[in-house]
Amino acid sequence: MTGPPAREVKVEVVGLTKKFGDLLVLNDVNFSVAKGEFLAIVGPTGCGKTTFLNLLSKLIPASEGQILIDGSEADPKTHNLAFVFQEPSSLPWLTVSQNVEFGMLIKGVPPGERERRLRSILDIVGLADCANLFPNQISASMEQRVAVSRAFATNPDLLLMDEPYGQLDVKLRFYLEDELLKLWRELGATVIFVTHNIEEAIYVAERILVLTNKPTSVKAEIHVDLPRPRSFIDEAFIDIRRQVTDLIRWW
Amino acid sequence: MNPDTRLKDPLSLRVTPWISFIGFFVVWQLLIDTGIVPRILLASPAEVGQLFIDKLTNPDPDGAVLLTHTMVSLLEAVLGYVLSLVIGIPLGLLMGWFVVAEGLARPPFEMIRPIPPVAWIPLAIFWFGIGLTGKVFIIWACGVVPCVINAYTGVRMTSPTLIQMARTYGASDWQIFTKICVPSALPMVFGGLQIALALAWTTLVAAELIAANEGLGYLITMGRRLLRPDMIVLGMIMVGLTGWIIGNIIDRIERRLTAGLERGGAAT
Ligand SMILES: Nc1ncnc2c1ncn2[C@@H]1O[C@H](COP(=O)(O)OP(=O)(O)O)[C@@H](O)[C@H]1O
Ligand SMILES: [Mg+2]
Repeated sequence: MTGPPAREVKVEVVGLTKKFGDLLVLNDVNFSVAKGEFLAIVGPTGCGKTTFLNLLSKLIPASEGQILIDGSEADPKTHNLAFVFQEPSSLPWLTVSQNVEFGMLIKGVPPGERERRLRSILDIVGLADCANLFPNQISASMEQRVAVSRAFATNPDLLLMDEPYGQLDVKLRFYLEDELLKLWRELGATVIFVTHNIEEAIYVAERILVLTNKPTSVKAEIHVDLPRPRSFIDEAFIDIRRQVTDLIRWW
Repeated sequence: MNPDTRLKDPLSLRVTPWISFIGFFVVWQLLIDTGIVPRILLASPAEVGQLFIDKLTNPDPDGAVLLTHTMVSLLEAVLGYVLSLVIGIPLGLLMGWFVVAEGLARPPFEMIRPIPPVAWIPLAIFWFGIGLTGKVFIIWACGVVPCVINAYTGVRMTSPTLIQMARTYGASDWQIFTKICVPSALPMVFGGLQIALALAWTTLVAAELIAANEGLGYLITMGRRLLRPDMIVLGMIMVGLTGWIIGNIIDRIERRLTAGLERGGAAT
């Protein structure tokens, strides 16, 4: 397999290290993400995936190293980031549509444009019917779709997803992953998708980074050149799956 | 709110409260009529009812009609209460989110907090006399404490995930405060309003018992001085009734403002 065609670099991670006191979590992590790329990061639970995304979005400071977005130090105030969290993160006092609008409101998107994007996203993800419901009136999967919609509605340059479908059952996940890919294609964002599920990663990503156990660094990089929609029983899919599984056998 | 899981018999559910309600007054009346409790110690419900009707129009012997007493007490309570909300809630909210606000406001607050509200009464009379201002001050001093504590706690209990979520969209500290912390603190704030109300009303009556020339507490004191148990009981009933009505109004406002939370079933 040859390397990817040369693409503009969106995110560059250089020598990223994070310690919590004496606990070394991330140890010299290096990689880059191309503009518009869909990158999956797989690693065992507790290896520092969430920590890495928190560093990337400046929720916590790095111990060493740099994260550059478009060549400058990452900062949610200047870069157009969006983050879909592992746990539910919709605001319980707002309706579904108000929740989807929330990111745009913070970003200062003008009302007319907000309304337009809201309608189009609600249509894509099929939430139009529950637009006026409150988060506790909808299912866990719908709530996660609200979070994904809220993220895409801001037209993020960089979308960070932390095991967004980890809590949901398998059947629903495939459906939501298809929906995610649809949004990604239609709205064109750079996506970093974190998961500990290998199949999920191969299904959605153009490229997969495999992390080591703690202290964590990048162990391998795998390009997934399969046509879409992908199939789990496809020979090539199974082949890549075996490749990744071998890499992580000693987790 | 836990649902009542007891077996329900609709008839007894509807009837028993009335039996006990009416029974209460019947027993009370009988106790007086039979002389088990002497008239000098307690008035009968019939006498209190009569006095109630009489006091609607007759200012004697305490100097004002019932409505005047009630309105005076209400005005003092509402003014003091509103002042404690207006100052206590924003202060508590700000203390919950902004470290500087907490650093500045916490020490004086912690010093004042353990003082029981009624202990302010002598000083308040000293400073402001027995009129409106003194009462408003006392009620403010006791109402402001639960307002601050609950607003503060409400903000502190905001889900960190929601705060991080807003941060990743680039929200400023002020935006996170107004759009995340304040709405999520609302149920706690309303809990504080109820506590403050109960406190304010009790303290007001205590203040009026000690120093006043109008108000429901004054009506009670006059009843004691004039050896008129019917006046005392009427005053007590009016205090209870008025407090109950204000409590219900607050409840209704709360339900409207936190409609989203209630509808989602997340009410705490
Ligand atoms: N704030 C923190 N303080 C101390 N240790 C932490 C903190 N956050 C995470 N860790 C530790 O860092 C490691 C990685 O955590 P995390 O990034 O949540 O893993 P993952 O998301 O890959 O499951 C864990 O061992 C965890 O205990
Ligand atoms: Mg995690």
